[in-house]
Amino acid sequence: MSHVDDGTLHAYLDGELSPPEAQAVEAHVAQCPACRTRLEEERALIARAGELLARAAPPDRELPPFRPGDVKPPARLWWQVRTPLAWAATIALALGIGTYVGQRRVPQLEPTAPERPTIIADQLARPAPAPGPAAASAPDSASAEQLQRVAERRLRVSKQAASAAVGAVEQKSRQEMLPQIDSIARRETAPLTADGYLASKAAAPVPARPEVLRLRALAGAVNGPPIGVDSARLLLGTDPLVVPDLPIRGMYRGRQLGYSATVIVEQALDSTTVIEVLTGRPSPLQLGEVVVTGAGVARPDSLSPEARALLNTRAVDSLAAAPRPAPAPAADEEKAKRTPSGLFVEVRGPLSPDSLAALKRLLRPLRP
Amino acid sequence: MPGDLAEIYRTTYRALVRFLYRKVWDAERAEDLAQEAFARAVVHKPENARGWLFIVAANMARDEARRAARERRHLTLLTAESQDGTPTSDEVFQEEQERVQVRAALEQLTPRDREVLLLWDSGLSYSEIAGHTGLAPGAVGTTLARARRRLVEAHEAGEKGEHVARG
Repeated sequence: MSHVDDGTLHAYLDGELSPPEAQAVEAHVAQCPACRTRLEEERALIARAGELLARAAPPDRELPPFRPGDVKPPARLWWQVRTPLAWAATIALALGIGTYVGQRRVPQLEPTAPERPTIIADQLARPAPAPGPAAASAPDSASAEQLQRVAERRLRVSKQAASAAVGAVEQKSRQEMLPQIDSIARRETAPLTADGYLASKAAAPVPARPEVLRLRALAGAVNGPPIGVDSARLLLGTDPLVVPDLPIRGMYRGRQLGYSATVIVEQALDSTTVIEVLTGRPSPLQLGEVVVTGAGVARPDSLSPEARALLNTRAVDSLAAAPRPAPAPAADEEKAKRTPSGLFVEVRGPLSPDSLAALKRLLRPLRP
Repeated sequence: MPGDLAEIYRTTYRALVRFLYRKVWDAERAEDLAQEAFARAVVHKPENARGWLFIVAANMARDEARRAARERRHLTLLTAESQDGTPTSDEVFQEEQERVQVRAALEQLTPRDREVLLLWDSGLSYSEIAGHTGLAPGAVGTTLARARRRLVEAHEAGEKGEHVARG
């Protein structure tokens, strides 16, 4: 039998030979000194290699417990991730639609409100670019009334949103407005009336804020700068009137013809409705009690009564204060707006006259 | 199956960690990979769980080595640092030196020789090693003999080189 090769020797020493193969190796080694020597060399080599490998072993640690439950879950596939995402998107969409519809429904309660301004604007805008001389100067009063009605409805427009947009809006409308005014003035066909101004303004696309301002101009009192409660008391000489238990959103100084001081208190009726409570202190001279006649022939007041008597003839017609012969119905209305203390009080807002009157009955002085 | 696997875990886990350690040279990482290999075995329920575990472990270690190759320079610097650092004791220092020498010797083997040697040291039989490496069963002994000789020779050469360098 030939000598045993290294591989067989290692297999023999490793115990990997079948019993017949192992017996064959043992038989050869028994009669072959060279192979016997080699067998011992290989045995030493195997021991040495094992020893070296044992040095390159990790620190011997306690066997950690077998936890098949700790298996990492396989990574989620994209379509497994997609389902929760779809749910999230659906919910977000539903919420978004709900909010949108909720916002839209309030103005829709008044059916004609959205369309009306456009029609008015068209009607009023027509005179401005019209070539005829009379066109721009003849805004009918019906249009003005319509405009006021529309403007009253538009008061419900959120003032916060309006003021946020006001910078851009005003700049834009002014840019679009000025050429029209210029062209009207250059043609000198007619004086630029307040109605003409409004018409060209209404022609400009947009503006929530200008409409609010217009409403105030039409209603008679214009909001001035915001003021504090103390300033309001100083202006009025007493407490401003408010609807009790309604949150106060702001307080402004107002300017109103015939009143030396006006305070406007903004109060939120609900999230979309704002009312304004006007408290005015009348000026010493009431316009309603003055009648102006014969202004064209006014004479200087420096004349003595005697001289005036000499001049005689139209003295009664000169500029002088005289009680009205009969109080007009309008004067009664004015008186109804006044409190016993002489203050002028009015409640404005996008509500029915009955509601405004009811609110007015609730008014109480704002106590500190 | 989990019962069988638990038994295999008890008998094979340490060998698998050792096998992995000699590939990644990081005890913590070797244990992590071994755990992951067993976790995969629970899911896949392989026929020959022990052989399957070593195949999976070898693949994981290869992936690990590819990733580590990118950080090799950093690793080398770390090793150099730890060698230069003051050892806590001579014994620890000696053990670390020996580990480094064996590692250097192992890395001089051909990949196949090294794989066969490591698998044998992990307790696999010749037939399992043959199935793992694709060698003929009769060639495993020859490969193993060559691998052991080269390991010992490379280690001795390294020690000599070390002594020469020190002397």
